Amino acid sequence: MTIQATVDMIEPAPHAATIDRFIENERKKQFRKMLLNRALAAGFGIFVLLAWHIATTGGFVHALIIPSPAATFHATLRVMGADYFWPNVWVTLQEILWGFALGLASGVILGVGVAMFETVRATIYPYLVALQAPPKIVLAPIFITWFGFDMASKIAIAVVMSFFPMFLNTLTGLSSVDPNAVKLMRSLTAGRWKTFRYLLLPNALPIMMAGVKLCWTLAVLGVIVGEFVGASAGIGYLIYAMNFQLDIAGVFSLIIILSLFTLIVYQLIEWLESRVIFWKQL
Amino acid sequence: MSAALIDGQKLSKVYATATGPLVALDNVSFEIKEGEFISLVGPSGCGKSTLLSILGGLEEKSDGTLILAGKHHDAPRPDLGMMFQTSVLFPWRTVRENVRLPGIILGLSAKQQAARCDELLDMVGLNGFGDRYPAELSGGMRQRVALARLLAHDPRVLLMDEPFGALDEFTRETMNVELLRIWEKTRKTVVFVTHNIGEAVFLSDRIFVMTPRPGRLEGIIEVDLPRPRRTDVMRDPRFSELVFDIRRMLGVDH
Ligand SMILES: Nc1ncnc2c1ncn2[C@@H]1O[C@H](COP(=O)(O)OP(=O)(O)OP(=O)(O)O)[C@@H](O)[C@H]1O
Ligand SMILES: [Mg+2]
Repeated sequence: MTIQATVDMIEPAPHAATIDRFIENERKKQFRKMLLNRALAAGFGIFVLLAWHIATTGGFVHALIIPSPAATFHATLRVMGADYFWPNVWVTLQEILWGFALGLASGVILGVGVAMFETVRATIYPYLVALQAPPKIVLAPIFITWFGFDMASKIAIAVVMSFFPMFLNTLTGLSSVDPNAVKLMRSLTAGRWKTFRYLLLPNALPIMMAGVKLCWTLAVLGVIVGEFVGASAGIGYLIYAMNFQLDIAGVFSLIIILSLFTLIVYQLIEWLESRVIFWKQL
Repeated sequence: MSAALIDGQKLSKVYATATGPLVALDNVSFEIKEGEFISLVGPSGCGKSTLLSILGGLEEKSDGTLILAGKHHDAPRPDLGMMFQTSVLFPWRTVRENVRLPGIILGLSAKQQAARCDELLDMVGLNGFGDRYPAELSGGMRQRVALARLLAHDPRVLLMDEPFGALDEFTRETMNVELLRIWEKTRKTVVFVTHNIGEAVFLSDRIFVMTPRPGRLEGIIEVDLPRPRRTDVMRDPRFSELVFDIRRMLGVDH
């Protein structure tokens, strides 16, 4: 007993309270760092807004070319309150979602087909790569001619633009696998389907999710470009029309609304990604 | 049954490469009895992995005959198990799910596999780590999981390609002792590839010494050290003698 007590006095074991205090300190440090980072980001945003405000109200640039922040804000309220706004949003939204869904699905299906079946690869892979060579925007006018002024042509452009990154990322993901893992599956007499299900697909998911994000931004781009080239409805059409009428504040507000929408969905995909890929790589 | 479990005669393997044919294995003949612990040693590129892949039915031989349990053998079989230098754990599966993978692939009874998995994790000293993910484990622990997975479907032959080659000396030695303990309990047939001559002598009944360009079986060394072995056999003069014999056979002593 007495010996034990002496030892304790000379060499106190790390005490629970000390450890708690240490963890508490670490947490505070991290919190302060996060606060600082937020403040820096917010500060920069305010700085840009201020510069914008001074440049436009101080007469450095013409209000017709760049509307002031306040004018843009008012324009946003005006545009969002207008009768024509929501029907146009609905058109663009449908085009984007269809384009994204079809681009994603065709990219995944063809990517899996090319990665898993030698005959599919031999047959179509050279064409898929060759088709990738021209910038796909050149197809926009042709698609308008083929599919008309309505949604179909915008969806087609979005699909053509968003397909390839999804296809390539699926193919790359399914192909970048540890050869020993493939050996292991073969040694367990796993066939093509089981190898796909238990090894190749989960292994490909991180790269595929990166493809999904690219696919999304390109689907939005494709639809807006399509609406610029020829449309009678949609956000791209509104931007084009307002620009023509020199309603630059209106154009600004539409760009901001569109960016916010794209960003929100992008964040949603990132959240989904963190759910799907819950593990850390070795 | 005195016939060998594995009988390889005049096995050759030639790879077609950009610079012409490459002989990876040249006329290799051997027999392996059930329950034997065999090591393959030899310098890099002498065809150890190639031979192991052929034994696993993963790689086609170019010439020769290979018989396993009385039948010609040229395809993967569920009574073989493979382990590699890297753990090849699937990072999206927990330790337990990784160990249960062979059972799932082979369609074995889930209930039996669950019980066996706990037993195996116990055996490799990872009791309580079943729900961890591989990224949370050290390199040595990952190889332990790989060892448990190797045994999961209770294969008859274990084919191990430098399984402890990437581990530090201390961990490697611990793993050797544990592998021997497990082998003494289960008496499985083992073919164990290594660069480490001491490791081969410590573990094996017989050692196949291979030399490169082309990959040939230079000779077979009988390890007549008593079993069960503990690390103190390394002090046995016979141990150093065997190590020295193998070194001479490989031409590393001058
Ligand atoms: N798929 C392949 N295609 C062409 N050559 C190959 C292939 N696999 C192995 N080789 C060649 O065959 C020879 C034997 O290779 P192997 O991997 O069996 O050697 P090893 O003894 O396992 O070497 P290490 O100790 O470095 O693992 C080497 O020269 C290697 O380059
Ligand atoms: Mg090798």
